[in-house]
Amino acid sequence: MPPSNDRSEKQAAAQLAVDILHEISTILNCHLDRRTLSICISMIENGVNPEALATAVKELRNEAQEVQIEAAGAGSSSTRARR
Amino acid sequence: MSQDRGHRISNAIDSLITHLIPSDPRNDEQAAQERHDACFDLVRSILERPEPPSISTDVNHASDLIKRKLIQSNPSQALRFSNLYTRLLSLPVLNQKWAILYLLYQLSDSPDPNEPLPLSPLGQPVQRAPARFAEEKRSSKASTPALPIQEEDEDAFSDAFAPGGLKKLPPERPRYSQDDESSSAPETSPKKQARDVSLKSILLADNSADYEPSETALLRDLPFTLQGLSSTTLPFAGETTLKLPPTLPSPIISLLHTLAEPSLLFRGLSSFVKSPAKGLLGQSLRAAINSELRQYLTLVATLEGQIRRALSSLDQNAPHGGIGKAGVTLKRCVVWTREATMGLRLMSLIAEESNNKRGGQLISLIHGFSTSHGDPVVASFAERLLADLTRPFYDILRRWIYDGELSDPHLEFFVREQSPNDKTQKETKAKGQTSVWNSKYEVVDAMVPSIITADFAQKVFLIGKSLNFIRHSCGDSQWVEAYSKTSSKELKYGDTATLEAWIDEAYKTTMQRLMNLMSTRFHLFDHLQALKNYILLGQGDFIALLMESLAANLDRPAGTQYRHTLTAQLEHAIRGSNAQYDSDEVLRRLDARMLQLSHGDIGWDCFTLEYKIDAPVDVVVTEWGNRQYLKVFNFLWRIKRVEFALASTWRKCMTGSRGVLQTEEEKVLQTWKSTRGVLAEMIHFVGQLQYYILFEVIESSWAELQKNIHKEGCTLDDLITAHTRYLTSITHKGLLGARRRQYHDSMKEAAAQLGRDTAEAAEDKNSYMIQLSELLRTMLAYRDSVDGLYSWSVSDFTRRQEVDATGLTRGNHHITPTNDGDDVFLSNSSGNIKSEFPALQERLKQLGLSFRTRLQILLGDLAYQPDVDMRFLGVSMNFNDVYQPVRRKTKPATGSGTTPAVAVAGSASASASASVSAAKA
Repeated sequence: MPPSNDRSEKQAAAQLAVDILHEISTILNCHLDRRTLSICISMIENGVNPEALATAVKELRNEAQEVQIEAAGAGSSSTRARR
Repeated sequence: MSQDRGHRISNAIDSLITHLIPSDPRNDEQAAQERHDACFDLVRSILERPEPPSISTDVNHASDLIKRKLIQSNPSQALRFSNLYTRLLSLPVLNQKWAILYLLYQLSDSPDPNEPLPLSPLGQPVQRAPARFAEEKRSSKASTPALPIQEEDEDAFSDAFAPGGLKKLPPERPRYSQDDESSSAPETSPKKQARDVSLKSILLADNSADYEPSETALLRDLPFTLQGLSSTTLPFAGETTLKLPPTLPSPIISLLHTLAEPSLLFRGLSSFVKSPAKGLLGQSLRAAINSELRQYLTLVATLEGQIRRALSSLDQNAPHGGIGKAGVTLKRCVVWTREATMGLRLMSLIAEESNNKRGGQLISLIHGFSTSHGDPVVASFAERLLADLTRPFYDILRRWIYDGELSDPHLEFFVREQSPNDKTQKETKAKGQTSVWNSKYEVVDAMVPSIITADFAQKVFLIGKSLNFIRHSCGDSQWVEAYSKTSSKELKYGDTATLEAWIDEAYKTTMQRLMNLMSTRFHLFDHLQALKNYILLGQGDFIALLMESLAANLDRPAGTQYRHTLTAQLEHAIRGSNAQYDSDEVLRRLDARMLQLSHGDIGWDCFTLEYKIDAPVDVVVTEWGNRQYLKVFNFLWRIKRVEFALASTWRKCMTGSRGVLQTEEEKVLQTWKSTRGVLAEMIHFVGQLQYYILFEVIESSWAELQKNIHKEGCTLDDLITAHTRYLTSITHKGLLGARRRQYHDSMKEAAAQLGRDTAEAAEDKNSYMIQLSELLRTMLAYRDSVDGLYSWSVSDFTRRQEVDATGLTRGNHHITPTNDGDDVFLSNSSGNIKSEFPALQERLKQLGLSFRTRLQILLGDLAYQPDVDMRFLGVSMNFNDVYQPVRRKTKPATGSGTTPAVAVAGSASASASASVSAAKA
């Protein structure tokens, strides 16, 4: 019981920490959602270099946008083809 | 442990990738997997790079960085952040708080991945080769703006999206690490807004198509255009037209339109400044505008410097001349010249309006802008102009109020010398009311500028006029010079309160001086007193003596009067009365002379006393005033003469009644009795009239005048007005100029009805005057008749005495036989009585009757006078209701008085006996 209790307490604390950090990230215009933020937090807790992680996140975002545009481009070209 | 950690990290990377990279539904599994792998490799390679040493592991460092950033961009959020931060620190769970904060800091202000930025209308979206790693990126970033190879395959894409100006991928910026960013070009500034602006300008610069002449060429020519000079690209076609090159696109054209406004206005204004001015104020307006234009030119010079510097630093290779980066564009020029354009616009408005305005009107115009314009810029601008503009005006004003000189060559001041052929002036001249004081200068109301009030203008006018008067008419220019030396002050626009104080002071000093001069040097008050004493018969003993000594002389015809006898008698009267104690200054001016004589006049009609008034005092006692004085004198003199004549006759009768007038004849006694009655009536009338004029009219008006002229702060103008009022009230109340208004109206009606013209009205104008002179004439005629009666009585008396004497001697010597002869003599003498006495009796009776009739008409008129004093005269003449005032209902026929005379004859004769007894009592 105590361990589980301990665990739930820890989880609540973690939840709180994520809340606070999310708020800070909103203030700073980081555009991180909670999930990404928690992943980042856990990676940093595991000793990842924050600066490198920041770079990685930015890179991944670019990647994601390119994917989106490709998808959009394909979509529009396909509509044009249909016309 | 480390394996476990590595595993966990790879798990986390996995989930991060899947979370961030959206799955493409159309891509097949394998492609997705490939992409995923590529990403994974990328992330891993990034993460496994060795840590840069720069990062310190201090918890506070990261939070400090964030705080500083927030304070710069958004102070209110900074407070919230420090709250959150303390809460975070109190949490036990996290070990690497600083690292997380640092991560957030690094990611801060990153573009939102879900709404991609920024716009890229025409095109070159940045490189987006699918696999580009940071290392490659860093090496190629120098060639950022456009990579020609990639442009080609972008074309299809940009064609598809060009009209909408489709979204552009986020720039590569996020891929750079922090230290790279800080050293890179301005568009990679960390702040979003700044980035937007610079992006926009780049986009605009890139957007603009090439045109001829280019913006740089236009910029190069712009300073000339702003100075109103033609240049190759922008030539002035005419005085008010600027030719724009037809090849330019419309946005540039509209910019040039805006820039053309100050250029054209400047051209207009500079030609206005060069145009010849009509007056001093026009010149000063031009000068003021010129100095404003100079400021404008300074602005243009600065602008030119900026343009030159910018153009010289232009990078010719950059697109569109790299004008976007140079910092000077046509648009900026528009912004910079904006305020100056407002000023130019206002000035050209003023210049236009000033064309048909002069002097004070010009000041009023600009003052109107400064006080009643809602725009504070316009108001302050006009105020500045006004300070320069009003300088000549204040110069003139200063000369005027401190020197009393009007130095106004262009007739711009609101005081002006009267032109001699002015219509109103001719009128006043005709009336004899002109004087140096009133007619030399005048205020032109239209020229009074709105910076001073009408009241104030009047004051200024008076000051200058007084100084001028003191200098030129009173011959006291030394005082004026000393005064202008000591009190002259620089007058300036702006401080109205001080100005007013100064002018008030000047006003007080000048007026005091003028009044002082008038009373001490020119004895104005002495003269007024003397006029009252001698001309208005105030000095009784003098007048009585004069009349006595002149009486014998004046009874003779006018032609036999000699000036030297008159003056001798005058001298005698002065010496014999209290007048001798008057000052020499006054007596010197007193003169006796004859008026222009007409045939049949006797000395009384022509004699007049005169009081000579010379230079400065004649502004108060004007020619008109002199005439009024003479008029009053003549009237009073006649009354006095009648009184004198009546009194002497009365005296003769009284002494005679004890001796020569005694007779037994009933008829003669009766005649004498009624004659004495009428004489007494006449004396009563004259006495009342004289009392009324001397005391009720002259003395009360004099008291009024004294009160007015000894008031505190009385000016010469007040004095003149008071004196004029004094004279008017004397002539009006003294029955000399009064009209019978109540008759006037009815008469007009009658005249209209009968179709007569108004000649009668004119005749009636001096009706009291006419009535009174008729009365006086009647009285004189009556007195002559009484004298005739007296001499008849005397001769009758002597004849009777002679008869007695002869009868006595004849009776003594031969008593009986002379009865026949005596009868003859008696019948002779009785025939003598019959021949003269009835005529005399008849004449006396008729004259007495006519006197009474006239008097009753006069009383009737007086009873309906609006003036209380004049009504009172009627009452005091008729205090016991002896007379019955006759109210003339309608205008009698021209033989005035005949009809009513007949009408009242009955009642008059009825009351005759009563009146005689009353008069006797």
